[in-house]
Amino acid sequence: MLQFVPCFTGPTHKQESPTVLQEDSAGLYKVEIRGTSFKRILSHWRAKRWDGWSWYQLAKRADSLATAQNRSAGLLAVEHLQERWAQTGVVPYEHQIRTAERVIHEMQGQAILADEVGLGKTIEAGLILKEYILRGLAKKVLILTPASLVWQWYHELYEKFGITAGIQRTQWDWQFADILIASIDTAKREPHASIVSSLIYDLVIVDEAHKLKNSSTASYRFVNSIQKKYCLMLTATPVQNDLKELYNLIGLIKPGQLGSYQSFKARFMEDKRTPKNPTELRKLLDQVMIRNRRDEGQVRFTARIVHPLVISLDPKEQDIYNRVTEFVKAQGRRTGLSNMLPLITLQREVCSSFLATALTLEKMMGNMQGPELEQAAALLKNLAEVKQNSKCDALERLVSQIDDKAIIFTEYKASQEYIRYRLEKAGYRTLAFDGSLSRGKKQWVRHMFQREAQFLVSTESGGEGLNFQFCNQVINYDLPWNPMRLEQRIGRVHRLGQTRDVHIYNLITKGTVEEHIMYLLHQKINMFESIIGELDAILLHLNLGKSFESELMKIFLEHERSDRIKESLDQIAEQILQGRAEIEASSWEGLL
Amino acid sequence: MEIRRGVWQVRADDALMKELDGWRSQGRLLQFTFDRGLASAYGADLIGPGSYRLNTLLNLIRRQGVLSQAHIPHHFFYEPNIRRKVVTSSSSGERAYVLTSSSLYGQYLQLELLAEARGLQKKESLHTVTVNLSSGEILKFPLPAHLIQGGGVDPALVVKRKCSLKNAYLSAAAHVAGAIAEQGQEWAQEALESMAAETEKLNAFFQGRSDSAEYEAKLQELQRRMQPVLAIDAVRGAVIYAPLFRYRLVVVDAQARERTKTVTYDPIANLHELDQ
Repeated sequence: MLQFVPCFTGPTHKQESPTVLQEDSAGLYKVEIRGTSFKRILSHWRAKRWDGWSWYQLAKRADSLATAQNRSAGLLAVEHLQERWAQTGVVPYEHQIRTAERVIHEMQGQAILADEVGLGKTIEAGLILKEYILRGLAKKVLILTPASLVWQWYHELYEKFGITAGIQRTQWDWQFADILIASIDTAKREPHASIVSSLIYDLVIVDEAHKLKNSSTASYRFVNSIQKKYCLMLTATPVQNDLKELYNLIGLIKPGQLGSYQSFKARFMEDKRTPKNPTELRKLLDQVMIRNRRDEGQVRFTARIVHPLVISLDPKEQDIYNRVTEFVKAQGRRTGLSNMLPLITLQREVCSSFLATALTLEKMMGNMQGPELEQAAALLKNLAEVKQNSKCDALERLVSQIDDKAIIFTEYKASQEYIRYRLEKAGYRTLAFDGSLSRGKKQWVRHMFQREAQFLVSTESGGEGLNFQFCNQVINYDLPWNPMRLEQRIGRVHRLGQTRDVHIYNLITKGTVEEHIMYLLHQKINMFESIIGELDAILLHLNLGKSFESELMKIFLEHERSDRIKESLDQIAEQILQGRAEIEASSWEGLL
Repeated sequence: MEIRRGVWQVRADDALMKELDGWRSQGRLLQFTFDRGLASAYGADLIGPGSYRLNTLLNLIRRQGVLSQAHIPHHFFYEPNIRRKVVTSSSSGERAYVLTSSSLYGQYLQLELLAEARGLQKKESLHTVTVNLSSGEILKFPLPAHLIQGGGVDPALVVKRKCSLKNAYLSAAAHVAGAIAEQGQEWAQEALESMAAETEKLNAFFQGRSDSAEYEAKLQELQRRMQPVLAIDAVRGAVIYAPLFRYRLVVVDAQARERTKTVTYDPIANLHELDQ
């Protein structure tokens, strides 16, 4: 039997960078004789560490196999990821594979991925990254994204491509992590910017690259200063108002592709919004930019059917809701808008379950004194006294009509436990899914849900990472205030591979803040039925992504009357719709 | 063992699992299959192109066998024939007698080299080159694999090498570089042409600013990306002890004068070596 020699040196095992023993010229090209692995052989020789002859022969065969795999003309990544994709339910689109092939084989790893929203630019970038890693062409990789997308990138890379990237937190991370995801706003600031500029990257990926359209901004100068071999820019809107934006963006990845700015202006610009010689310009753009369109018929999603279910609270519940809201408003006025997070949580929880509200209030009481504490204690006592739960009663009625699997989403662990308690008591088989589960357990729960249980009760954090296309019913027991989080929930089931229309049930308690949220998300911006990925692009475009919840809380704190709240929400909706129009208008028909 | 049709099971101990799945893994029963359907039905690890388990196994195997040793035993060669050959060929017009004979081993270094030709694309190829550590010469043919047996030999019988390992490696790498050059340089030509076109575009962009640091940086980026390079590295090596037959001869010339000389015969390289 073959005895192997343990080589593993622990979790921080790192590879050395190649050392060159001798450099020579062979006519057209340079010959580098490297010493990295040879040094390893020498050290074995000196230590008289002889491996068995059978291992040597077996290792040689393994080398041949690996090298033969690398000679494949297509994408190695597709073959390597088959197993992972089968487990996680990812089915790549044909246009995504074609894009990755073009970037690698024709564009030498420098491209603007400008697909329309919802066509999976992140998947394309992940595929290209994986391919370069497998081919041994990329080791040091930097992914720059808006801060709100850092975790999303982390999850996507891990779940869909098996790439464990680091998330930048300290200035040491730049040097030590091989694949790093960082917020572009952090990276462009000192001392980070100097460190990043001093390093040489094999691949740099910039998400939401339209933010680099202006060459005089710090972000543009920063990305331009990074030394990189390959570079991918991801944006759905490579040009919005001015053709110069497009010129600037291309200048970042391939300076000179469109000539100098003067010559570009003379050859290709009628005025700042009207291109001249569009055919010639398109030809040049084709060499550096790929834009896939939704209407090209490659992507078909099933419909989303929304069922709003309005629930009336009983008088006792309504009274306690009003008292909690009053308490939150009083606290908000007292502490100001700076310390809003616990209040937002409390206000949202009161729409979900009184149990969750009570737990948060109890925690908050630790920092309270005097009459404020007395008020909170009285409120807590009242919360404990409420035995009725109209929302959960409505949920029970709803699930009795659903003869299929459904995912019930709630934001809070306490609500999750309560829902499960009620449904199990009513004789349904349920499973809990949340962020505290390990990857293996998440897979197991997914498997059990597919095979055994009818309902999966999931918290927000559990919503990221895994896909449940075998299920087409989503119940939003409570509504997240951030539409991007709502999209993530629906996205678990409404994605490629879903063959049935998706039914979305929203439980909304009448006379509460949930009514307003539903008004904004459903009636005003038609969030539930909009195109996948469109809304996050709009919110990022409007810089609303992270602060959306705070904006809403401000409105609820500032206004007492329902009509005034509606007016303010209308304004936000107006902004969003305008953003959508701007993005749509920026498609520059005929050119991109 | 095959626990059900198409599904095999093997016990992996702690050390092996750590090698395969990382430092937190513990020994367990590994179940594997070559069938994608069985893999998902029984939760067995799939062994197939690109599968996780095959890759971890390949990686483990490739970390082994960095340096090995083997030998070719003397008995594969018929000594009386060699003795006759040595006696007759080293005494033209003279008579030679064997005083003493000994069986020794010479050292050959077999290197597996990975050559990466990086132009617009990267092409990898593996080459096995054997260097005679006595002469520093590259063996023009592969050592007969069926004669090689694993394991070393008595160090007292090994003739000291005259060529350093580094020089052996450098000449092996040069040999591979020469072989690749003979196959054609189109890949490099193509990369250089693309690079020239890109440089032209870059010059147009930096019109009048070609002495700026930014221009220099972009030019370097371009070279890093497109400059054709052939990189050669040794992946693993093995010392192969090949038999040497050494004879101390008494040579008697036409005038009946006697002198002694030592002849070493290397049946692999078919070389006679006159030591003294």
